[in-house]
Amino acid sequence: MDHSLFSKPRDLFLDIVNPRDYVQIDSVSHMYQNLKASVQKPLKMILLYGKPGTGKSMLLHKLHHDLSKHQKVFMIDIPIIDEGDFLRVLAQKIYGYVNREAITLTDFLELSTAVNYPQSPIVLLDEAQLYSALLMEKIRLISDARALKFVITLHKTEDEDIIAKEHFQTRIWESIELQNASCEELKIYIQKKLLKANCFDVANMFNEKNIKLISKLTKGNYRETNKLLFSLFSLYTWYEKNTPSKIKYNALKPKYIEMAGIQTGLLRD
Amino acid sequence: MIDIHLLERRWIKYKIKRLIPYVVAILGIGAGLITLLYSVNQNDVTPPPPIKQEIPLVKITPKPDIAEEVIAIVPPPTLQQPRAVAAPIAVARPTPAETSVAWKPKALPSPKENIPVPLSIPKNTPLVAVSATFSTPVVVPPNSQNKPISIKQNSTTFDIHEIEDRFKNNSNPHLGLYIARYHYDNGNYSEAYNYALKTNAINNTLEESWLIFAKSLVKLGRTEQAKKTLQLYISQSNSEGAKSLLNNLTKEDEK
Repeated sequence: MDHSLFSKPRDLFLDIVNPRDYVQIDSVSHMYQNLKASVQKPLKMILLYGKPGTGKSMLLHKLHHDLSKHQKVFMIDIPIIDEGDFLRVLAQKIYGYVNREAITLTDFLELSTAVNYPQSPIVLLDEAQLYSALLMEKIRLISDARALKFVITLHKTEDEDIIAKEHFQTRIWESIELQNASCEELKIYIQKKLLKANCFDVANMFNEKNIKLISKLTKGNYRETNKLLFSLFSLYTWYEKNTPSKIKYNALKPKYIEMAGIQTGLLRD
Repeated sequence: MIDIHLLERRWIKYKIKRLIPYVVAILGIGAGLITLLYSVNQNDVTPPPPIKQEIPLVKITPKPDIAEEVIAIVPPPTLQQPRAVAAPIAVARPTPAETSVAWKPKALPSPKENIPVPLSIPKNTPLVAVSATFSTPVVVPPNSQNKPISIKQNSTTFDIHEIEDRFKNNSNPHLGLYIARYHYDNGNYSEAYNYALKTNAINNTLEESWLIFAKSLVKLGRTEQAKKTLQLYISQSNSEGAKSLLNNLTKEDEK
């Protein structure tokens, strides 16, 4: 049994997307309310995009968690690249149609008309940039037929502006862009996450200087922040066990933050 | 599992790498400053304060009431000798016309003739300058050419401390006189007194130095001492300037 003060905070920052770990930050909360409102509108497709690590997947999971209580929602967080498999899985999960064979688009649309839901079922697609253009075109056709409503997330990278592609340009009716966290938001994120897990002592160790350094290293990226803090608390766990005299409990040592940065590849030695 | 020791080494390496640009920048700035200071110093040294020195024509006259042995070795009264003075810095040479008219260089008295003439000092006079001995015959500038040695400062950016340093190094009496005059003009009478004293110790034939010395004493409230000094100097040099100053002091006392 690990009794370290830092083992619990360490595990909090494991890079796992869990809607129960969702931390409410003003800007993200605003985005989420917009997203929820958009889902209620008679839109066909809603696009959620942003740089990697801006919290798209978390928001999608949170949406799934919240909406699934009231209506039919299906989330595909690992892309199903094969078209036949994609439609078959959708038919099974949304309409309960079990078939071992791959089904065609026509079959799927016929199935959708046969089953009526009071509200259009919602399909949440994470990492939609991995789908082929052909499959995206079929998704568009399904949404045009109002068989399903899609909320998709996309990575917005510097190299390729996927949103500029035709099928997104013409069909997306609402798009929401997520940004990296500011220094203040990152502070709230870390503090809230720690306080939520009753790690008060550790939460008190973060001062402004520490937060600035973390923000500088991670550039406000939530995923990088999680990785960095996981590594940081792993270091603290080790020091607490082996050389506790080196730990000051009133503030985090910038040295250890930098070491964690080196460990996670955020800093180059 | 984290290898903490390896990570610490990597962190040290990272810190060193990160510090290198700062160290280089600091060294660069330091080197730049040193170069700048050096060049500024060079500039200060290269153009010395342009001091124009006029070389006066001096007349060596025997002192009527001087001690017998002095009279014996002093050149005849009619003897006129130009006194070449070593200038510490740039010297404005006389024009060819002046040289041809006024300058008739003659051999200076041989070193053997330069018998020191001790000044008799009153016992209550605490001056060092007074105890200095005259190593050359008393030189009295002729009245018609009574031009005191003057050093004209052309630059406004000159630094008196630099000249004081130079005076310390080369003990040039003309520099000493210049500094004494500077301090006297600026109301710094104790410094004027000191430099005039030093100048007199080096060369006791500079009338102006004696006058500044005496005037500084007056300004410092030691009028009696100034009078005695002037009397001594007059007895050695028959200086008109010294006489005039002494008369003025006496008149003021009578008032």
